[in-house]
Amino acid sequence: MSYSFDFSGLSQGYDELLDGLRITVELTIAANLIGVTFGFIVALLVMSKLKVVRIPAMLFVEFFRCTPAIIQIIWFFYCVPILFDVYLESITMGILALGLNLTAFNAEAYRAAIQSVPKEQHDAGIALGLSPLQRVLYVVLPHAVRSSVPVLITNGIGIFQQTALVAIVAIQDLMYQGKALATTTYRPIETFTLIAVIYFAISFPIAQLVQAIERRREVASR
Amino acid sequence: MLRAAAFARHLRSKEVVTTMNKIMSNKTATQEFATAGSQYKTAAAGVSGQPLVRISNLHKSYSPTVQVLKGLNLDMAAGERLVVIGPSGGGKSTLLRVMMGLEEVNSGSVNFAGQEYICADESKQKTKINLDVRKQIGMVFQHYTLFPHLTILQNLTLAPRKVRGESNASAEERGMALLTRFGLGAKANAYPNQLSGGQKQRVAIARALMLDPKLMLFDEVTSALDPELVAEVEQVIMQLAEQGMPMMIVTHDMWFAKNIASRVVFCAGGVVVEEGTPDEIFNAPKHERTREFLNRVFHI
Ligand SMILES: Nc1ncnc2c1ncn2[C@@H]1O[C@H](COP(=O)(O)OP(=O)(O)O)[C@@H](O)[C@H]1O
Ligand SMILES: [Mg+2]
Repeated sequence: MSYSFDFSGLSQGYDELLDGLRITVELTIAANLIGVTFGFIVALLVMSKLKVVRIPAMLFVEFFRCTPAIIQIIWFFYCVPILFDVYLESITMGILALGLNLTAFNAEAYRAAIQSVPKEQHDAGIALGLSPLQRVLYVVLPHAVRSSVPVLITNGIGIFQQTALVAIVAIQDLMYQGKALATTTYRPIETFTLIAVIYFAISFPIAQLVQAIERRREVASR
Repeated sequence: MLRAAAFARHLRSKEVVTTMNKIMSNKTATQEFATAGSQYKTAAAGVSGQPLVRISNLHKSYSPTVQVLKGLNLDMAAGERLVVIGPSGGGKSTLLRVMMGLEEVNSGSVNFAGQEYICADESKQKTKINLDVRKQIGMVFQHYTLFPHLTILQNLTLAPRKVRGESNASAEERGMALLTRFGLGAKANAYPNQLSGGQKQRVAIARALMLDPKLMLFDEVTSALDPELVAEVEQVIMQLAEQGMPMMIVTHDMWFAKNIASRVVFCAGGVVVEEGTPDEIFNAPKHERTREFLNRVFHI
């Protein structure tokens, strides 16, 4: 191990990396907007009593949970245009692929949270004369949304890292710019180390936040 | 008020009472309640000459092998305070849950103030519930059931606002008055996790009272509490009793049972085995099962 690190050459790629980071953050935010809202709707569909609603929703969730994200992204880029004759901007495709992936994972988070609302809470709602809809709105959802927040954030960080996969379909995100810089500078070790540090520097504080929330909740529920 | 003060003293003396014999010979609350001024009685009386509650031939099983209620019959007159005692697993909670519309039944019915409101529809294997009648009954559970995301006051006002369409201002005013009466005025804006178990249960009682119930059901509401918190909750129930609120109480606290009951029901194996005045049940139980049960509770 006699490799001597030299980060000095990387400064020439500063602007590109920043552009890439912006795309990465945009992808993450857009995917999270989709995942947080549609995840909730899919969770409700998965819990539906109607088979015609429940089964497709479950298939949707399981497809995204049980196939590699990279295949989902590639499939979106190459198969959707051919099969459905839609040609969208590549970034839109990336957002859709990542957003639907997150939708599936968040749907599971919501479902688990809703089903973990204690039976006693339902009983109390019934005893107080609340209608089924009122119980959902005023008892179950506030409970469930709160307890799903840590998982939603964790999934959100996960998708932030998964965005790196879209570089493979030529979306110019942080990872894509990093690869380009590594090639032009002949400094792949330094470049990818720097890229890793950037992903880490953003994910780590958010992961800490989740832990803080969970710790606070543990104390509160005592 | 005098009675409340006397009772508070009484509760404190509870710790020093060492033998149950002493408690058994203690005649206080039961007789006094009979003449207590009645705020609730008139409202609850319903149709005169009819029992307030009539439970007829209730059968309930959770699964084909677990039969819990096996033809339970029970009447309760207006203004009564019925205490249900019995071995654990005997179906006491199930009975109250059925009355509250929380469980289906296989057969039988429950009447309230002359109206049948719970009835097994055997052909459809469904239980028909008349919600308008059922809503006249309030219940407090053994486990804490306050809504954790709402403040204490919001816990009280949620149902009046949503179920009855009462205005926020009016519900809050009534809520504050009740909390103050229960010594919880300072906690109105606190959240449930900031309260002790005893305070939570008192709030749960207040929450049920917000809907002006004509009958209150208490299912072992002090069983989950630390011993030093039991008295404050029992005292609140005593207060309600003084005002003439009809109630059905499941409890393992025989001291409390003896003092609050106008009638005691011993329930085991899914039926009423024996019923009578506190005196009759505690001092001269007729059935072997009752005797055996009381022996067991009093000699631990
Ligand atoms: N939800 C349930 N599912 C299956 N069995 C139950 C359920 N609830 C109660 N039981 C059973 O019914 C019996 C009576 O329970 P319960 O009414 O809680 O008795 P008690 O309150 O007198 O202790 C017990 O054997 C209990 O295990
Ligand atoms: Mg019980």
